[in-house]
Amino acid sequence: MTIDFPFIWTAFKEILKAIPLTLLLTITPLAIGFLIGLLVTWIRIGKARLIRLIANFYVSFFRGTPAIMHIMIIYFGLPILINQLVHYFELPIETNKIPISLFVILALSFTAGAYFSEIIRSGIASVTTGQIEAAYTVGMNTYQVAKRIILPQALAQSIPNITNIVVGFLHTTSIAFLVSQTEITGAANIVASKNLKFLEAFIAAGIIYWLITLMIEMISHFIEKKAKSYISSAL
Amino acid sequence: MNKRAIGVKRMIEITNLKKNFGPNEVLKGINLKVNKGDIISIIGPSGSGKTTLLRCLNYLEKPDEGIITIGEVSINARKVHKKDIYTLRKKSAMVFQSYNLFQHKTALQNVMEGLIVVQKKNIKEAQEIATELLRKVGLEHKTKAFPSHLSGGQQQRVGIARALALNPEVILFDEPTSALDPELVGEVLSVIAKIAKEGKTMIIVTHELNFAREISDRIIFMDNGVIVEEGSPKEIFVEQKEERTKQFLKRMVPELDYSI
Repeated sequence: MTIDFPFIWTAFKEILKAIPLTLLLTITPLAIGFLIGLLVTWIRIGKARLIRLIANFYVSFFRGTPAIMHIMIIYFGLPILINQLVHYFELPIETNKIPISLFVILALSFTAGAYFSEIIRSGIASVTTGQIEAAYTVGMNTYQVAKRIILPQALAQSIPNITNIVVGFLHTTSIAFLVSQTEITGAANIVASKNLKFLEAFIAAGIIYWLITLMIEMISHFIEKKAKSYISSAL
Repeated sequence: MNKRAIGVKRMIEITNLKKNFGPNEVLKGINLKVNKGDIISIIGPSGSGKTTLLRCLNYLEKPDEGIITIGEVSINARKVHKKDIYTLRKKSAMVFQSYNLFQHKTALQNVMEGLIVVQKKNIKEAQEIATELLRKVGLEHKTKAFPSHLSGGQQQRVGIARALALNPEVILFDEPTSALDPELVGEVLSVIAKIAKEGKTMIIVTHELNFAREISDRIIFMDNGVIVEEGSPKEIFVEQKEERTKQFLKRMVPELDYSI
């Protein structure tokens, strides 16, 4: 067997078309997951015991199981639940008309939320208690302290971790192909099957993942430099 | 009543303040009155409760019992609401042993922060006040520097400017020079002395006995969770009545040796 090098380029061009969906499946869950992460972290460091337990369980479960499980559970489970509700309230919704990508986005949002919660929590731990006390003595309330003193520093500290999770999620979207989403891996598989050239198609897909990852890292580097300009001098 | 007649105003009143950390009784019923413009230094051995007393005044530590009054705000530890705590905190400002500047903000922004967020001043006005105060503490050339680029003494002076900016009824100093290199202590003490002359009410927890003696109207000696003795610098440093005060000062004698 030989490698058909020209076909790598053909596949490459074909797979490029899958980038918008891939980015949608990466960025939307990360954005929603970030908000979930903030909320969950706030609950976890708060005082309400019951919801704190629930939040801890959520983080533990979603970090303790693979993302593909979350997609499968939501993809197969949620329609049943929705059907029940539709039936019960006699709503004019057809479950099979809901785009599959929505299920994927929802599932990955929960996955991202759990990871973000851990990232934000460790970022918050890096802010010295002295600064928080100082903010209180200045007269700020808890919300102001969180927004103006804790979060800016916690997030600046978290940039490397956030970059990791962004890259990780870019790669995780490849499993959406299992529920027939034509993201990069899905597109590669289609091109490959049509022409029976699997190696070439996946090499092309690999290059695309890698290039996007490099771009994410460049952006992250730039942001990190800006956001951390306050920490020490000679960097 | 008499004092009021001649224009002395009560600023702070602490009644029967108690605080435990677990089984450890740190404050055993403190009573204290401070008049407007008073400069009070609290001295005493480590673990005597001085810092805890100071931190109870702005509820960084929640006392178990007792009433704290600053200006017209009064809080009873037995029935305290979050709102009361916020109101009480606005009456005071604190200068910390480890400066506790906001690391992600410049010197100027550190001073402006409370003016903008808490006092809702506009940026221009806040900037003017902050610049003026940084000039006062001798840091007009460092307004744009981040805390990580400032020496300990400079950071502490920013901390003092941040406290002054709020124009509080009282400034609480929690061992403001204890974390400084010896050669930087002087610059901070001279800034504090400068403010003291302007008639601000101040409570200072300190180990700098000479300094306390020089600038204070009243010295409070604490040991083991109680106020053992209080009086004018002369009464405490020269004519002390209590054995424990004598013992403490004796231990600190090497420090008292160099002239004031």
